Amino acid sequence: MEAIKYYVKGAFVGVAETPEVLEQQEELIADMTAKVADLVADGRSEDEALGMAIASMGDLSGLVKEFATEEPAQAAPVVPAVPEPVMVDVEIAKLRLHTVLLCAGGAVAVLFVLTVLGALGGIGGSVVIADLLLTLVALAWIGVELFRFHRNADEIATVDSARGSMKRPLLQWVAVCAVAFVLNLALDSDGFWAWAAWIGAAAWPATLWVRHKLIERGMFLHPKVEAEPALDGAVAAAGACG
Amino acid sequence: MVVETPISSDLIRGHIDTIVLGLLNGQDRYGYEIVKQVGVLSDGEYELKEPTLYSAFRRMESAGLISSYWGEESQGGRRKYYRISPDGRETYLRNLEDWKRARTLIDRLVSGEAEKE
Repeated sequence: MEAIKYYVKGAFVGVAETPEVLEQQEELIADMTAKVADLVADGRSEDEALGMAIASMGDLSGLVKEFATEEPAQAAPVVPAVPEPVMVDVEIAKLRLHTVLLCAGGAVAVLFVLTVLGALGGIGGSVVIADLLLTLVALAWIGVELFRFHRNADEIATVDSARGSMKRPLLQWVAVCAVAFVLNLALDSDGFWAWAAWIGAAAWPATLWVRHKLIERGMFLHPKVEAEPALDGAVAAAGACG
Repeated sequence: MVVETPISSDLIRGHIDTIVLGLLNGQDRYGYEIVKQVGVLSDGEYELKEPTLYSAFRRMESAGLISSYWGEESQGGRRKYYRISPDGRETYLRNLEDWKRARTLIDRLVSGEAEKE
């Protein structure tokens, strides 16, 4: 009865032919063959018997699906699969906004206090102006980050790229400090505003350090997605900062 | 051979395992034998479908309630026999008890109003 074989095999199309699947097919074929033989013995024609056997078999798709989703593991009790390590990305847009708000906000506060203290202490002129300028830069930085966040709040980056390297911001900070120091010497203004520049510029490596710590604590993590935009915020933010 | 299933199969579906275990309790059987036996026992009122039966076999085999082995060649090809395990027997007896209690209870519940009057 080739028709029975075709019928059963056809129902299992797309399912890997494991020994378990082949045995199930063999059982179904044997069952149907016996059923057809019984019907023929009852006086039906072979075609009629085949049609009735197929009709009474019902829908095989449910049973076939069990084989499609399961691995062949009948003999042994099912061993729970070891969960794979969950790959995560970082919600970089949110993380960046938070760290920048924290650090640039801190820098604005410190610079503001220094400006007021400087003004009260009689250090006027260029120092106050420099401090105010630095405060504006920090505020502009926050503004830029807010704008970036608005544009793409769901931006995702890999953990590595989100962590970033501390080397570059630290070098930039040293450069800012050096420039401020030289300018300070050239303008001969008591050294006060150079400190302001140093503290203000320190906000940039600080954001990365805070970012690092937050990622370590598992905050702002996001289940892995297929694409990796891998955007490095260092360049744009450094531009806004320096 | 039964073509229609007058009894709602939903009412029976929850008891397929018990029915199959009950049939295996006395002797080892192969799939089609159980299908036929269910037809005979139900007087043709219920037809057990092969996909339902084999799903139950797979489920119960992985739960350790039954085991299977290939029998000798017959005229139609070899046959796979199913055997009840001690665990399966225990499950069967427990299910049977549960069913008897449920049957009495459901009888009372569905005919409650009539009895009060």
